[in-house]
Amino acid sequence: MNKRWIHIILLLAVGLIAVIVIADYLSTRPGKRPPNPFAFDVSDYESVEESLISHRETRQIRITDTKAVHIASNENNIFLLTAGYLQTLTPRGEEINSISLGQAATSLFAFPDNSVIIAFENYLEYYSAEGNLLHRSDSAPDNALFTAVSTMENRIYVADAGNNQVVVYDLALKYLDTFKGESGVSTLHGFILPSRHFDMAVNADNELWIVNPGLHYIQNYAADGRFRRQWGKPSFTPEGFSGCCNPSYITFLHDGRFVTSEKGLVRIKIYKESGILESVVASPEAFKNGLKAPAIATLENDIVVALDFDRSMIRIFEPK
Amino acid sequence: MKKTHNRREFIRSCSRYSLGIALAGVTGYALKDATALQWVWQVDPFKCTYCGRCATHCVLNPSAVKCVHAYALCGYCDLCGGYLKPGHIDRDTAAENQLCPTAAIERKFIEEPYYEYRINEDLCIGCAKCVEGCSAFGNGSLHLQIRHNLCVNCNECAIARVCPSDAIKRVPAYDPYLVKGSFSDDTNT
Repeated sequence: MNKRWIHIILLLAVGLIAVIVIADYLSTRPGKRPPNPFAFDVSDYESVEESLISHRETRQIRITDTKAVHIASNENNIFLLTAGYLQTLTPRGEEINSISLGQAATSLFAFPDNSVIIAFENYLEYYSAEGNLLHRSDSAPDNALFTAVSTMENRIYVADAGNNQVVVYDLALKYLDTFKGESGVSTLHGFILPSRHFDMAVNADNELWIVNPGLHYIQNYAADGRFRRQWGKPSFTPEGFSGCCNPSYITFLHDGRFVTSEKGLVRIKIYKESGILESVVASPEAFKNGLKAPAIATLENDIVVALDFDRSMIRIFEPK
Repeated sequence: MKKTHNRREFIRSCSRYSLGIALAGVTGYALKDATALQWVWQVDPFKCTYCGRCATHCVLNPSAVKCVHAYALCGYCDLCGGYLKPGHIDRDTAAENQLCPTAAIERKFIEEPYYEYRINEDLCIGCAKCVEGCSAFGNGSLHLQIRHNLCVNCNECAIARVCPSDAIKRVPAYDPYLVKGSFSDDTNT
């Protein structure tokens, strides 16, 4: 075969490859993902100025064979609520204790002595550190959906997203009171809950802070349910809370600064006691392709623990 | 005395029986067609990944896929992720604040601070932009459905062929919609 024929065959092969590549480029076969001309684009808000980011991710604890529900902490341990179980973990992820709950729980609160109050859909259970059931509340009336639990001055406060109210119990889990956050002029409508995200937390100064997600406020209430003050604003920029239902979760650092977690544009931030943004713990880039707000808890030395539902793992963020 | 049949009677009987059998066959065939299960195409809202292909790949223009609203799931939010653009200037009905490229979502004040959102199907092109916003920031009450007053029920749905998440499937014609709230996500139980 002379050189001329080899050149012709090579040219034909190149032409054939070019035709295949162009045909594939133009085709709409199912495996191809052309850019979506109607994409919902929040990329402008996903990156956060590096100087604003105060924490870095140092550890991940993978959750296997179970569906994570919520997370809490005390000074020493992490408490992971999964489908039907409560696990007590060290900050390194080693299991200390595990309690079978029988039913699917929704939220929890951990005392410093490792005893735990667990919220189910419409009742509470109080377990000792050894896993013994101490108290069980009566079932709340229709539509109750407990989403958060916290304690202040020997009272237990439970967020009931089903009835847009906070229910108060004593430490023996006897019902005491209910309030709907309608006590002030600026809170005329009480708690506005577009979804089941309704969180609360008590800081080191014994102040009860409750999220009013429909209004993007974090509100402070007295022990008897009287409204005191509030802060927060809607915004896609880091200063505010984006979308509806945010912040989805709140907790406190030990000096009283707020830690918030948002869904949609998933991010975790720290606010000063006055409600001014201090820093970003994890920007939306840390939760790429995720939509669910991570549940959050804190350990000593300003360590933030996030339960990433989309990746099914506990992620530990430590100050830089 | 034994009755005998002649040829004429035999042919007549055969014709009668043949006609009877033919009539019964036609009736049976018609009944089978009338009672057979019919299938139509529908979007599974729990599988949909809002890729935008429902708007661009339907044989109809505009697409037979429209956004529908499950009111029972809606939070009636003032700050609606499906209605307002990310980074909107004001929280009102001005065009520059609306997420929908065809202004197909109508916002109506109910009482402070609640708003109702209705889909104008004549304007909706099924692009799912609002569905993605609602699913990310809200309850996911906005979702896509194939409207059977528009769909021509192609033998091979042009959208199903390119759907990256296999969200388009055949459902029985007697129950042709998969509206959120009236059925649940069986993959997430």
